Amino acid sequence: MKLAKILENESFRIFIRSVVSKAGLTFLFVMVAISIYVVATMPLDFGIRVWSNPKLWADNPKNAPPIWVNYFSNPKLMEHVRIVISKPARVESVEGGGKIFTYVVTYRHGYEQFPQTIIIRFQNVTYYTRYTPVIEVSVRRPDRLVIERLFVWRALTTAGKPPYVRSERIDIEGYKEAAPQLSTFLLREFNITITPERILSREVPATEIIMGKPTVKDENLQFKPLKGRYVFTFKVRTYSDKDYVGGIAMVFVGRAYGLMGTDNLGRDLALGLIYGFPVALLIGVVTSVMTTAIGALAGIVSGYYGGFVDEAIQRVCDVLNNIPLLPLLILMTFIVKNPASKIKISPLAVIVMVLIAFGWAGLAIVIRSMVLPIKSQPFIEAAIAAGASKLRVMFKHILPQVAPFIFAQMIFFTPSAILSEAAISFLGLGDPSIPTWGQILEASYRAQALQNGFWWWVIPPGILIMYAAITFVFIAQGLEPVVEPRLRTR
Amino acid sequence: MALLDVKKLKIYYYTLSGIVKAVDNVTFSLEKGEVLGLAGESGCGKSTLGYGLIGLIPPPGRVAGGSIVLDGKELTKLSSEELRKVRWNEISMIFQGAMNALNPVYTVGFQLAEPLIIHKGFTKREALERAAELLEAVGLHRNMVRRYPHELSGGQKQRVVIAMSLILNPKLVIADEPTTALDVVVQAQIMNLFKKIKNEYRLSIIFITHDLSLIAEIADRVAIMYAGKIVEIGSSEQVFNNPYHPYTKGLLNSIPRIRHKEKITWIPGVPPDLRAPPPGCRFHPRCPYAMDVCRREEPEMKAVEPGHYVACWLY
Amino acid sequence: MGNEVILRVMGLKKYFPLRRTLKEILMFKKGRSVKAVDGIDFDIHRGEVFCLVGESGCGKTTTGRLVTRLIPPTSGRMLFKPSPQTLKHLPKEILVDGEYVELSSKLPKNISRLLRREIQIIFQDPFGSLNPRMKVYDILKEPLIIHGIGSTEDERRKLIFKALEEVKLTPPEEFTGRFPHMLSGGQRQRVAIARALLLGPSLIVADEPVSMLDVSIRAEILQLMIDLKEKRGLTYIFITHDLAVASYICNRIAVMYLGKIVEVAPTDEIINKTLHPYTKALLAAVPEPDPSNRFKIREVPIKGEVPSAVVIPPGCRFHPRCPYAMDVCRREEPPSIEYSPHHKVSCWLYARR
Ligand SMILES: Nc1ncnc2c1ncn2[C@@H]1O[C@H](COP(=O)(O)OP(=O)(O)OP(=O)(O)O)[C@@H](O)[C@H]1O
Ligand SMILES: Nc1ncnc2c1ncn2[C@@H]1O[C@H](COP(=O)(O)OP(=O)(O)OP(=O)(O)O)[C@@H](O)[C@H]1O
Ligand SMILES: [Mg+2]
Ligand SMILES: [Mg+2]
Repeated sequence: MKLAKILENESFRIFIRSVVSKAGLTFLFVMVAISIYVVATMPLDFGIRVWSNPKLWADNPKNAPPIWVNYFSNPKLMEHVRIVISKPARVESVEGGGKIFTYVVTYRHGYEQFPQTIIIRFQNVTYYTRYTPVIEVSVRRPDRLVIERLFVWRALTTAGKPPYVRSERIDIEGYKEAAPQLSTFLLREFNITITPERILSREVPATEIIMGKPTVKDENLQFKPLKGRYVFTFKVRTYSDKDYVGGIAMVFVGRAYGLMGTDNLGRDLALGLIYGFPVALLIGVVTSVMTTAIGALAGIVSGYYGGFVDEAIQRVCDVLNNIPLLPLLILMTFIVKNPASKIKISPLAVIVMVLIAFGWAGLAIVIRSMVLPIKSQPFIEAAIAAGASKLRVMFKHILPQVAPFIFAQMIFFTPSAILSEAAISFLGLGDPSIPTWGQILEASYRAQALQNGFWWWVIPPGILIMYAAITFVFIAQGLEPVVEPRLRTR
Repeated sequence: MALLDVKKLKIYYYTLSGIVKAVDNVTFSLEKGEVLGLAGESGCGKSTLGYGLIGLIPPPGRVAGGSIVLDGKELTKLSSEELRKVRWNEISMIFQGAMNALNPVYTVGFQLAEPLIIHKGFTKREALERAAELLEAVGLHRNMVRRYPHELSGGQKQRVVIAMSLILNPKLVIADEPTTALDVVVQAQIMNLFKKIKNEYRLSIIFITHDLSLIAEIADRVAIMYAGKIVEIGSSEQVFNNPYHPYTKGLLNSIPRIRHKEKITWIPGVPPDLRAPPPGCRFHPRCPYAMDVCRREEPEMKAVEPGHYVACWLY
Repeated sequence: MGNEVILRVMGLKKYFPLRRTLKEILMFKKGRSVKAVDGIDFDIHRGEVFCLVGESGCGKTTTGRLVTRLIPPTSGRMLFKPSPQTLKHLPKEILVDGEYVELSSKLPKNISRLLRREIQIIFQDPFGSLNPRMKVYDILKEPLIIHGIGSTEDERRKLIFKALEEVKLTPPEEFTGRFPHMLSGGQRQRVAIARALLLGPSLIVADEPVSMLDVSIRAEILQLMIDLKEKRGLTYIFITHDLAVASYICNRIAVMYLGKIVEVAPTDEIINKTLHPYTKALLAAVPEPDPSNRFKIREVPIKGEVPSAVVIPPGCRFHPRCPYAMDVCRREEPPSIEYSPHHKVSCWLYARR
């Protein structure tokens, strides 16, 4: 019913007729939909808890391009693989107490490359007695060779009170327990002698021994990746019936990652970029709504009251308009970002506040000049003659006359707010706890991503900043003929 | 032969919301040295007819039919280049509100002289001399050539605009509401100027106004327009002293007069929307004498006296 | 019409200050001002139609706006006699002579609002005077809301419908939903009249109410105003530049020139026993629908145009254009001379010296 009314509205019809407004609305719709998805699915403190938490990204490949580059390149880059097993394949009870859990991880390798490394994680190994669980790992390779007891891991500590909970991250490269076994494996199966020290020093990477076939070429030992199925078996021996393992994860660290690749900390750029949508929208909308609200109010009051009030507001506007915004923003964010400063405000809030504080003046001047002729229109005098108060005249009679313009200005102002935030962030003055596109761009710049050819780290945030700006520019352009009837074409 | 012969002229505005039949089947002629007064309510198409005659119809309007013959030349068939030569040289127009459209950055003299320099190849000196003469002819001092528009009063500006319309010695001047924004006293002065011009130059003038009293002041013949059509045309004496059409009668009865105390009357209702005029006679919804035939069929122009034509089923 | 004076205006002046030019600021000159209304006196009797006539810029509208308290006067007094029911609500201290209120003084908000209901205004431009973004219904509801008239929507609707019927916009429901641009000029002016009537005023300032309307419907609006006046016992200040309209509707006419009233008299006297040379000129300039006029040059005895209201000529402000100007006219401003009991003129020609 309401919607039908809007669709019938002449202004809306004029608006929707142009291609740019259709495009703008579509873009906006996409932006809003993604933002809603993000807000619904991602934690609000994503920045601190996820994005800026290096532990979470430790297993990821660094500077990895997105996986879809494999469509365009040869040889194919190995995709990053992470396998999590939470249920044991077998559970056997042992006489005299305790159990044996058997976990099996199957991985099929199909690349001409080795993983960068293999990472094994034991999560929440929980036990209640001083007899700690023992985990024994063995591998069966596609060539049917088996590396028995690749390593044996024990949760050694029993400090404090039970239950004791341990988690462990094992990077197979440089892992002391595994090197002797691999050395033995090579000697036994291929008759190659490599000391454990050479494996530990990564001269001969452990990953290559586990997953490769050795060949000797010109006196040089080389490994060729073995394609096919690898079965990792984890036998967990516990000594109390209550003991258990939370889960076992294996990461085959690849060379291509996710939809958008990773940065130099291994962070999933797709997550950061998607999180940028609601942030950009929020910055844009909050700034523009506040700016236009203040600007419109000041403009109407200034124009309608005239005299001293007008003079005062206009002088303030002149001053605000003539202060260069960017240096000021830099100074302000610098102050709040200084660890010694006592002001504890997010630099993002500072950016938004400064943009509002300095943005309304221009609008106020324009609105004032629009109010002046409206003010002397007979229908305003008619309202006064009927006894309307100043407030009523301003908000019931003047505001509706300038409202379409204010609305268009609001939309017009949104991209500049988004762009300003991006610019500030790009200068490294953003809020590290809230990832924005500008900040991702800044990080890439600092890491010399462009020089290193990490284009996936540079181009997408740039495009998204433009996308957000263009969305609102399009809508604003579509609104122009509605607000400025002289531009209407027949 | 008549100087101007307009036959079945149609000028329509093709707008998004429909075709506005602003001038529909208008026929009249004008002799040399004659002043035709064109009167009618706001929006009845008076200005549009004027624009049509001089070939400057604003978009989305265009001539949809009929002919305009000036001095034996068919204007509707001319190319825009040829039409430009006719314009100002043979026909000129004083536009509604033209006095407020003078260019504020040029002197009055320059604005007057410009067409002479462009069209007639005058030197600047000669052109300015001619401009000064013309200013004197419209009752201004010749020093005014050096003045800027904002330094002139309303009446003076209107005189300048009238001078501009005369600068190339046209045969026909169309004056669209030339006194509307002026005070009575100044209006009377400008009307006197028109009378003087008419007598001295033997000009043909089409004088457009909504004020019948002004028409009586100057026009030899009167055409009454209603909703895009001429409903009555005749000599001033015929139309003012012996009006036939109910609309003309209504208009004349609605003019208050200072020294006559009789009650004035009005025409009930409002003029029709020209996108969808009523069928039959366009005046029938407001006409006190409307008959059945008025609702069905359009009346033709009929002579009720020699030179006096009326489009009404009553006659 | 009785002799009860409803409004007494004395020495009313309104100067609009001009922005000082740089030269004036540098030379410490005083700012100049537009003397829009420069000391006028008149009385208005209950039930009459009082006309202000004059050329553009002579201060007619300014006078109307002063009386309606849309702008404060520079100086002068305006004593207004409210209707008995309003009088009841007014505190005795602010009353002059027990029944008049000084309109030019600063009144408390509630009293000011009460008096707004007493004096209403109708503007020249019926389009500009209606808020283009409001429907007729909301336009008419505004005054009711402001003054808290009618407690329920139903009551208000009844009042609005009644007002529309009163100005012959029937059936009302056909008009309430329309925006001003969906109305003809005459209909718009009726809505403006309905709005003025809703507050039950006793005095209405009508500023050129028919000037922008087509001739063919002017009479209708004028007749409506006359009918409403009879029915409601209204008093009008009718502003017009058209002497013919003034002579048609007005009981008394005041002719203004450059912010002054130069002649005031009952309509017949102004037209038939014209005294002031300016009034004579105005009357001579009015065109008549008589085709024989085209053979005569109309004798307009005065030359030139109205000078600017910033630099007012010394002495009689009309003397530069007056065909009878004498020495005294250039030196001294003429007093208001009571030529006959109801006929006042400001001209040295009629001074008994
Ligand atoms: N550019 C235009 N586009 C569409 N319609 C137009 C345009 N110009 C005029 N009209 C319509 O054509 C009709 C005649 O207009 P025109 O200006 O000729 O009237 P007019 O008699 O000169 O009126 P007025 O006395 O107000 O000047 C009107 O109904 C008007 O709305
Ligand atoms: N708000 C204002 N500020 C400055 N000058 C003003 C203002 N209002 C009116 N004036 C000037 O005061 C003078 C009188 O104006 P006013 O509108 O009263 O004239 P008027 O008699 O109503 O004229 P019109 O017939 O054109 O309506 C004019 O010179 C005008 O320019
Ligand atoms: Mg016109
Ligand atoms: Mg006025």
